[in-house]
Amino acid sequence: MHGPSSFDRGSAARPPMATARSEPVLRLTAMSPRVTAILVVHRGGERLTRALDAIRAQSRRPERLLVALVQANAETRAAAAEAAPDGIIQIEERVAFGEAVRRAEQTLPPPQDDEDAVWLLSEDTEPESRALAALETTLETARSVAIAGPKLLEAERPDRIASLGRSMTRFGAAVPLVTGELDQGQHDGLSDVLGVDPGGILVRRAVWRSLEGFDPALPVVDDGLDLAVRARLGGHRVAVVPTAHVRFAAGGLIGPAAGHRAGAVRRRAAATRRAALHRRMSYAPAAATPLHWLSLLPLAVLRSIVLLVTKAPGRIVGEFGAALRTMFSFGAIARSRRVLRGARSVGWSAIAPLRMQPDEMRRRRRLEAEERRARARGRVDGVDFLATGGGWVLLVAVVVSIAVMFPLLGAAGVSGAGLLPLSPAVDELWRNASYGWRDVSTGFIGAADPFQAVLAVLGSLAFWSPSWALVALWLLAIPVSALGAWFAAARLTERGALRALAAVLWMLAPPLLSSLADGRPGAVLAHVLLAWLLYAALGSATSWATAATASLLFAAVVAAAPSLAPALLVAWIVGMAASGRGAARLALLPVPAVVLAAPLIWAQLAAGNRLALLADPGVPVPAAVPGSGVLGLGFTDPALGGWQQVLAALQASIDPRWVVAALLLPLALAALAAFATGRIRAAAFALAGAALGFATAVAAAQLSLAIIGASAAPVASAPGQSMMWLGLVLAAVVALDGVRRASAWLAALLTVATAGAVLPLAVSIATGRAEVGPAAQRSLPAFVTAEAENDPRVTTLRLVPEADGGLRATLEHGAGATLDEQSTFAQTRVTMDAGELALAEIAGNLASRGGFDADRAIDEFGISYVLLGQADADAPRAETQTADRSRAALDANAALVPVGETDFGTLWRFADAVPDAPAAQIPPHAGAPLAGWIATVQLIVFGAVLLLSIPAGVGREEPARRPKRPRPERVRRRGAKVVPAAPAAQAETEEGTPVEEGTPVEDGTPVEDGTPVEDGTPVEVGSAEPEPATAVEEPAHDGPPTDPGVTNPDEREGEHDAR
Amino acid sequence: MPDSRTLLRAGGRGVAVLGAAALTVAAFGAAAIVPWPEHRAEPLARSIQPAESRTLRVCPGPMLELGDDAESVSALGSARIATATRPADAGAERVVLAPPRGTEDDVAVSLVTEPGAVDAGMLAGAQSQRLTTETAAGFLAAGCAEPVADAWLAGGSTELGRSTLLLLANPGEVAATVDVRVHSETGPVEAPSGLGLVVQPGGQRVVSIAGLAPGAAAPVVHVTSTGGTVAATLEQTAIDVLTPTGAELIGTTAPPATRQTITGVVVPQSGGIAVDEDHAEGDAHPSLRLLAPGADAVEAAVSVVPEAGGEGSVFDVVLQPGQVSDIPLGELAAGEYTVRIDADGEFVAAARTATTAGGDELPSDFAWFPASLPLLEETLVAVPRGPGTKLHFANPGDAEVEASVTIGDDERRVTVAAGGVASVQLPGGGGSALVTGGAGLFASVSFNGNRQLAGFAVQPPGPLDSPIVVYPR
Repeated sequence: MHGPSSFDRGSAARPPMATARSEPVLRLTAMSPRVTAILVVHRGGERLTRALDAIRAQSRRPERLLVALVQANAETRAAAAEAAPDGIIQIEERVAFGEAVRRAEQTLPPPQDDEDAVWLLSEDTEPESRALAALETTLETARSVAIAGPKLLEAERPDRIASLGRSMTRFGAAVPLVTGELDQGQHDGLSDVLGVDPGGILVRRAVWRSLEGFDPALPVVDDGLDLAVRARLGGHRVAVVPTAHVRFAAGGLIGPAAGHRAGAVRRRAAATRRAALHRRMSYAPAAATPLHWLSLLPLAVLRSIVLLVTKAPGRIVGEFGAALRTMFSFGAIARSRRVLRGARSVGWSAIAPLRMQPDEMRRRRRLEAEERRARARGRVDGVDFLATGGGWVLLVAVVVSIAVMFPLLGAAGVSGAGLLPLSPAVDELWRNASYGWRDVSTGFIGAADPFQAVLAVLGSLAFWSPSWALVALWLLAIPVSALGAWFAAARLTERGALRALAAVLWMLAPPLLSSLADGRPGAVLAHVLLAWLLYAALGSATSWATAATASLLFAAVVAAAPSLAPALLVAWIVGMAASGRGAARLALLPVPAVVLAAPLIWAQLAAGNRLALLADPGVPVPAAVPGSGVLGLGFTDPALGGWQQVLAALQASIDPRWVVAALLLPLALAALAAFATGRIRAAAFALAGAALGFATAVAAAQLSLAIIGASAAPVASAPGQSMMWLGLVLAAVVALDGVRRASAWLAALLTVATAGAVLPLAVSIATGRAEVGPAAQRSLPAFVTAEAENDPRVTTLRLVPEADGGLRATLEHGAGATLDEQSTFAQTRVTMDAGELALAEIAGNLASRGGFDADRAIDEFGISYVLLGQADADAPRAETQTADRSRAALDANAALVPVGETDFGTLWRFADAVPDAPAAQIPPHAGAPLAGWIATVQLIVFGAVLLLSIPAGVGREEPARRPKRPRPERVRRRGAKVVPAAPAAQAETEEGTPVEEGTPVEDGTPVEDGTPVEDGTPVEVGSAEPEPATAVEEPAHDGPPTDPGVTNPDEREGEHDAR
Repeated sequence: MPDSRTLLRAGGRGVAVLGAAALTVAAFGAAAIVPWPEHRAEPLARSIQPAESRTLRVCPGPMLELGDDAESVSALGSARIATATRPADAGAERVVLAPPRGTEDDVAVSLVTEPGAVDAGMLAGAQSQRLTTETAAGFLAAGCAEPVADAWLAGGSTELGRSTLLLLANPGEVAATVDVRVHSETGPVEAPSGLGLVVQPGGQRVVSIAGLAPGAAAPVVHVTSTGGTVAATLEQTAIDVLTPTGAELIGTTAPPATRQTITGVVVPQSGGIAVDEDHAEGDAHPSLRLLAPGADAVEAAVSVVPEAGGEGSVFDVVLQPGQVSDIPLGELAAGEYTVRIDADGEFVAAARTATTAGGDELPSDFAWFPASLPLLEETLVAVPRGPGTKLHFANPGDAEVEASVTIGDDERRVTVAAGGVASVQLPGGGGSALVTGGAGLFASVSFNGNRQLAGFAVQPPGPLDSPIVVYPR
């Protein structure tokens, strides 16, 4: 009567009875059943068959078999029916194992005595024939044992123990007693345990009912442990029976699904954490629960920090999810506590001896750390800095830097077209880096440039005198650039000479020296960091620490040279597309940059001035727009870094462009020759990057965004040229790497020719003829700076006659304008704001005779001083006239007292000027509360990325249970030729074994694939795979499916020999 | 031995290199040839019209006579001042400045309008005076000038019988500290006593050029002031033995430039001394005073264009740096002339002529004609009473200028050809003339009568009141 109809109705509540079947496989005895097997089925299929077979094959068969079908399909239903269990319970929704068992058990009549037991099985469990007998024996012989658990063996490798009992630490964290060990009978003496995993356990039904079964709030993890703990607290014993073997496949029905995919790991971690928190809330003494409840969120924050440092950022969401869900699942907690209270008969102290002892935990942690260290040792970074001559390169770079930057040695500050001092106080630097009051000229409330954050970092490093940070930047630019290029090239070649070539070509790049000579801090920083960014980005696919570092470098580069952002984003997208599973880490790349720039982006978009996002930060440098010929040669000025003057001095009537082109020709030819080496992909990426850089430089030259006085400053082309140069240098390295002989000589030729091209520029810097030089003591007259000591907001109206007869008027506060005050938003606004209009009116009237009330300057802006710049002796007539007119008008103004001539121009003081003028003060709470929110978000993101960038994840960033792979196996599979392997590729893979995966096979140059391409993206498919273990488990997917390069082993051999 | 596969591969690589090279060339070509769209932000400028203020002109007042000591002066008679405003009812107030030390007489007068009453330049004044005393005789006229911080005055002489005074008037509210530097035919004159002269606000001061540069035949005076601005005027009287041979007020001339235009130079009687005459004695002949204040010698080409038409004369002179040159203008027929000087360096210029009554041995009056500055679109000229009054125009530009001159209700069209000159007769009783459409013209007013000769340049308003372009960023 409970035949097919029960299938259809899917009832779980129907009392199951023996069903009369035509060919029952399991015949129930008439006597009162003692063991009821409950088999929970979801997927069915072969596993179900095997499970059923195993039950049938038991030496001591269960009296009854109930099958709980959880959302099973028709086929599975049929299979279950065919197996003819004594009852089938249909459950239409997807419920957890515990819930399914509970519903199945409810269909049984109440237990008649203590002998009644349920045996909990699922399709994932395959008990060996003597399992039930052994379990039952335990229950029979020990009356106090309520739950007997089997030894769970891994289904695929039955020689390994999947689980044998669980315990808790003193603080309640669940720990397995045994896991992943080879089963050599070493744990067969184990009996009493605190808890067990739920698969295959035999539970006395009386106890089961008194404990109300598994806790529904623990659906996936710790359900068995919790049940066992409650049984223990109810005065029962829980034992494992090592002689009962059950094979267990973690298919997700009992316990969390196994797997090393990131998603599975994340879900497992989240479920584990939720279970732990729920148990904590359930087990805690009532008085302590509020404290525990309050600690949930702070602990989640702390644990998130640890997760970042240990490079598991994916688990943070789960961590917070677990905390929040636990915080608001009052009902579940109350139920669990009620059940526990009801069942409890002994104190917690009773189970204390069964807890995992602290010294055992310490031992385990030590072992884990040792294992990590062992893994880390396996890594080879392949860089070999000293062994391949990196030290010498650094030494040479330092010497070159000292020679070129000679005038700056010992300077306290550096001055140039785009340079100003930094604010003297570190807190001011950071205030200028955050949303709020922009203290430039008349000032306004708005977003800071991302570059100000870079300046704040630099200035904080030189906290005793922030302006000196810029001197340090100038002095270190050449060596740090050289190192960056050296490391980037190390990803391409293991030949020291070629790495040195890359370093030298990069540190002598015309865009770098031009930017140094002109004094453009943004372009200098972008150049210095670009090679480092490439180096880090190439390792991003396999390491969170490297990815985070790359993202910070990306933010710094984009902040310093926003014009590079489009090109870098294109490179990033290409890299994402090419990096396969590493894309998740690579996706982090632009995040800090976007967060940093978000307020500015929003402001500019709201102002409808999208192009202005590309404006160079800092002081706009009005300059002639370079032609594309000059741009292509890497220079930014038509004089080509002094070649024009050199040729004029030599009285040679040659266009300097031809001379420079001839000197740079070897580099261009070498770069193009990269295609001839067969490392087509590396060559293509390098040269595509060069093309992207050139396009950026040309596009930048078409844009003039920042307005300064009567002119608009063109966007600096140097950053684009730097990118172009990087592509060329790397392509040349690829090319020379493919040359078997004489590559050192070719490298020397390239070095000499390129050095020749920039020699005039370097000499002009070294001899102090360039724009850049030691900064003056002040940027305003001493009279003003002296007053600024007492009144830091003393305001000076600076009037500068322009060549067209106009008058530029700006306000400077305190001791003068600083670099960190500048704002591209203010520079690129296409309309004047109210402050600028008022300033124009005041300045225009002060420079005219008229009935203007000069005190408005004090009332509106708190101006104390007026400084009129001098017109040069050879200035155009209009400029001189404006200067004279302004001077006459200011002189004749009774409200102004002349102070006198200074180095910076003629100075007047307002007779009625007041110290600490109210109008000159920064409005209190400028930008609040928005400033606070923005700063908080930015700090959180950067804090997280910084934590993530700490290289503490060595040995951690891989599956915990990754089996050691025998190396010879791979060699055999791939052929020995590949083994000499690329250090570069090794550097990218976390543990150094899967070198071959990243190995390009086309020409046998092993590094090609892991290859850094100028765009900063690891292009290879193989090495982007972060978890090689997966590949091992599924050998079919391992490694490149096709291996065309193998067809030409001779050539590859030859190349390796050449090394 | 290369098999076909190796060859194929080598060929492929070759193609790749060539392709890359072709792409490189194409990229450079595209960058160089294609006119990519540009985006150049427009500088944000705002033309600021200065707040309206009192418009102000200073008339130097009657001729002064140096007293017994250098500090005391006394006025000779009084000057007739003509005032013009537009609109006519703007009401120019006459404020008498505090007289110079040593005299009780009222001397300089400043003309003041209320703020906003007139546009810049629409207040004009001029004065004239006829002197017939025993020590000074002649006709003198001058425009009332705007106070400035930097003025060049070319004219005067401190030789025997010649007396030259510098009048400094400060109508403003701030004391002016004035430096007076004199150049003469021998070069810059060292005269520390001319430096740091303080002219009190609302006051005036008289400086004898003879005290700074005694015996200078050809002084050029450079006045610079800091603090307040001053209106500077030279006045010169001449006496030969006992016969006064003329008097003149000399206004500021155009500041140093590479081109100067002196228009309306009246030559009452034919005559003169050849340009290349080495011994041009006396000051009765038409002559030109030139000074290159820079550090380098300046070559100047002088062209004298007769207003009546016909060929003028052209000659070249070399100006030694810092030394004033008095150069005869050559033998000229009676008439009016415009003198244009182009040079390869900056210089200042003024012209001088004299009139001799028929039968007289000595000239009875002389006049200085300073160089003018180009007019603006609208210019108001006040014309004082005097004989033979003429308004002269010169057009050194390349395009014909058609201006209209309104005298009273009478509007006249004046067409000045490119490079040409023109003049308009003005009523002898004085009044005013409004020149419209005369931007770029140079103008002056001359007086020519029996024993009477005078002239003054019509200067545009100074830039101090004009709008200024401000870049507030």
